[in-house]
Amino acid sequence: MRKHLIYFLFVVITTTVLLISCGKDEVPEPENPTAGLTKLTEGYAAGAAAKVQVYMKESTITTGYTKLYIQLLDSVTGNRIEEAHIQLTPMMDMGAMTHSSPYENPASEEAINHLFPCSVTFIMSSMGGTWTLKVSVHNYSNNKEGAFTFPLTVTEPAKSKQKSFTAQHNGAKYFISLIEPSKPKVGINDMELAIYKKASMMSWPADSSLSVILTPEMPTMGHGSPNNVNPVHTGNGHYKGKVNFTMTGYWKLNLDFMSGTAIADTTQFFDVEF
Amino acid sequence: MKSVYVFIAFSITPFFVSAQEKSDTSRIVELKEIQLSSVQKNASQAVVSFFKSSNASTLEDILTRLPEFSLVRRGAYGMEPSIRSFSSGQINVLVDGMRIHGACTDKMDPATIYIEPVNLDNLQAQTGSNGFMYGSSIGGTVNMKMAEPDFRDNKKISGNISSGYQSAAKSLFESAILNYSSDKWAFRASSTYRKSDAYLSGGGTVINFSQFEKINYSLSVKYQHCPHTWYKADILGDDGWNISYPALPMDVGYAGARIASLSYHSEYPSKKIYKWVAKIYANKIRHFMDDSKRPNVPMHMDMPGLSKTIGVYTEGELKINKKQNLQFRADGSTTFLKADMTMHQSGQPDMYMLTWPDNRRNQFGISGSWQLSLDSTTKLQLTARADYIDHTLTTEEAKDHVSIFSPSANDRNDILKNLSFLGSKKILKAFKATLSFSYSERMPTAGELFGFYLFNANDNYDYIGNPALKTEKNLQAEVSLQYTKKQNRVQLTGFISRISDYILGQVEPSFSHMTIGASGVKTYSNIPFALIAGIEASTVVKPAKTIDVVSTLRFTAGRDNNKYHLPNISPLKNVTSVRWQHKKLFVQGETEIAAKQTRFSPRAGEDATAGYSLFHFRTGYTINLKNTNLELQAGAENILDKKYHEHLDWGNIVRPGRNLYILVKIIF
Repeated sequence: MRKHLIYFLFVVITTTVLLISCGKDEVPEPENPTAGLTKLTEGYAAGAAAKVQVYMKESTITTGYTKLYIQLLDSVTGNRIEEAHIQLTPMMDMGAMTHSSPYENPASEEAINHLFPCSVTFIMSSMGGTWTLKVSVHNYSNNKEGAFTFPLTVTEPAKSKQKSFTAQHNGAKYFISLIEPSKPKVGINDMELAIYKKASMMSWPADSSLSVILTPEMPTMGHGSPNNVNPVHTGNGHYKGKVNFTMTGYWKLNLDFMSGTAIADTTQFFDVEF
Repeated sequence: MKSVYVFIAFSITPFFVSAQEKSDTSRIVELKEIQLSSVQKNASQAVVSFFKSSNASTLEDILTRLPEFSLVRRGAYGMEPSIRSFSSGQINVLVDGMRIHGACTDKMDPATIYIEPVNLDNLQAQTGSNGFMYGSSIGGTVNMKMAEPDFRDNKKISGNISSGYQSAAKSLFESAILNYSSDKWAFRASSTYRKSDAYLSGGGTVINFSQFEKINYSLSVKYQHCPHTWYKADILGDDGWNISYPALPMDVGYAGARIASLSYHSEYPSKKIYKWVAKIYANKIRHFMDDSKRPNVPMHMDMPGLSKTIGVYTEGELKINKKQNLQFRADGSTTFLKADMTMHQSGQPDMYMLTWPDNRRNQFGISGSWQLSLDSTTKLQLTARADYIDHTLTTEEAKDHVSIFSPSANDRNDILKNLSFLGSKKILKAFKATLSFSYSERMPTAGELFGFYLFNANDNYDYIGNPALKTEKNLQAEVSLQYTKKQNRVQLTGFISRISDYILGQVEPSFSHMTIGASGVKTYSNIPFALIAGIEASTVVKPAKTIDVVSTLRFTAGRDNNKYHLPNISPLKNVTSVRWQHKKLFVQGETEIAAKQTRFSPRAGEDATAGYSLFHFRTGYTINLKNTNLELQAGAENILDKKYHEHLDWGNIVRPGRNLYILVKIIF
């Protein structure tokens, strides 16, 4: 009797396992490069015979470093344009004056996974004026040039990811963007900053001259976290390190900026809450 | 809490040393009226039965009467047993051979708190050379052997009901045992209820946050398949709530255990394998810490913990020939642990972390103990055990937590080896000398491997686990001399242990502590070695037919490789009981004397502890009615109302003062 029961159970379990593993066959889908992205806007770069589609990961633009993904389509055939030179020109019109903002053109003239990744760092919200972004396209498939300009609405996020200071050592104005951690968790997190220097109203070059000291702090409990790695410059004004969170909640990322041994600023911090 | 709940030692049962003495390093304490059925007689290859206690004693009270044991005390309840200063992960605490892991990261719930004496048949304490038979351990094993239903009174309900009251904590104790058997089936049910208020210390001060309340219930069913084999099913539940710990910054809102097992037993005295047991079991413990009743808490925290274990084991005894005997065991178990903490601060988002990141430990082991009687006076015993143990962090979240301190892989597997040799020889008829050597290993605990800011209230540090810890290894030598004549016995034991890769918390000055008000952070690490040595003496004498005297003495000392004293070492202590019994009346006086402890570890938050002497008085009378016995017991503990604490007591919280008690027990 017991033997029968065991045999019966064995058959049931084996069949179930086989059925479950059979159900897992999947038909590969054609890949969609914009899957998971939100389309911000689209329009024609007149003269380049190209339709410009601008995508981003978030659904709204907030102040700080904003990664954009541009897809170029032939305005007649609708086919993707895989080779082009793209030049960004962000502009803030405050009425009495206008100024630009830091940005990163696509690093390559060839599309990566059919898209041209680039970024704009919005240093203020649309409260103070009107933001526009001009996307100039040199379409290599027909060797024509044109531009698409569109307005953007930039809001202030709940926790700011954009700070600025006037450096003690040289009096220059620096703009700091927090890129990572974008999805903070308890454990080791990638830490990434982008640092830009304001050279003029229209020129905001990436900076590689500063060193950064990171001190995370949980003000509610008065403790820090161990084994953090100070962000160091890795290229194009990006500084990468590690930040460790030992629990969820409200954390303050205190940042000291140094130029060699001279202090640039010791008052900046970013709030992180999760 | 020893003195509060002790209605202990009503009679000192005459010891007997049987021809088949199981081991010279194990000790069995009978916990109930000894009614030797045929099965028990075989099983109790008895060593010494020192104390027979009433059902009102907690397990802790009974443990504390043994010279090898001390208790680490954080409150009136939930004391952690320590064998020769080995505790926690260094010893095995088993329930009927089953592994069970407390669910509290702060060790508030050693497995002993979920078991009541009414659940048990006896306590088996094994030290030294035999201590690793049930699982790799360097300090020994406490096995709480569960009581079984019996077939004595067929088709009749038997049992007992007890009710008691104690003055120091205004505590109530109610307990019942029922037994019924019908031909091939036997049933045993037991239940205990305890409720204690905050107790009064010596001098009459109320020790706030020392109350507790609990209920324990169990059912055991036995089916006698044929005269020599039977099946048994056991379930046990234990629920405690409002359990307070004066030495800790928080209490326990609820702690509950569910334990179930199914086993097969066979005992054929004439067969080669004359004893064999196979068991499958599962248990689950849930534990919720609560600080909502404490004043001046800077931040309230929820700290739930969960422990789940499933296991199997088989063990037996094999008679190779007249002179050789083999005891064997194979076991496997898997334990899952998780504990987390949520901190609340108004106006702030909740803060959440894992304190025991979800982890699982799988263990498989085999052991054997071979006994050889060279002649009637000389015995040799060789015991070996090997364990394969692996640890994994079971979730990404858990891995992320641990990676902060050790970014490389944190899963590990280990093979642990244990070996011991024991020889004994009878000299001049009444004397017996025993010498043993052993090498044993133990696995670091889940807290020592993966603990994430575990606060230790004793030294005021947050502890961080270290997944790269090496196993602790113990090289031990033990010598024992025993004198036995009639019903008198004197035993003297000395031991020395060299523990290499001793696990200790080391201050990590660069880390900031998590707990508000803590002094810093310690990381578990291996120090090169530590030495522990001690002596134990026990005397059981019967100077007259009506008088029994039992006295135990112990002394232990320990130092690390830098000659610093080790923490958690009890001072010299003596407990002596003198008992006079005349027919149905007994009167008993007890003294408990501890020397001051000046060998302490300041780095572990300890300070010197003053010595003390206590006096207890107990009496009991039995009335025989028709088919029923009525037992009355009363006594006074700490008669002089001494204000004192023991060295192992956390936070130097004073123990209960004068305690008067009364207990009524109806046996039917």
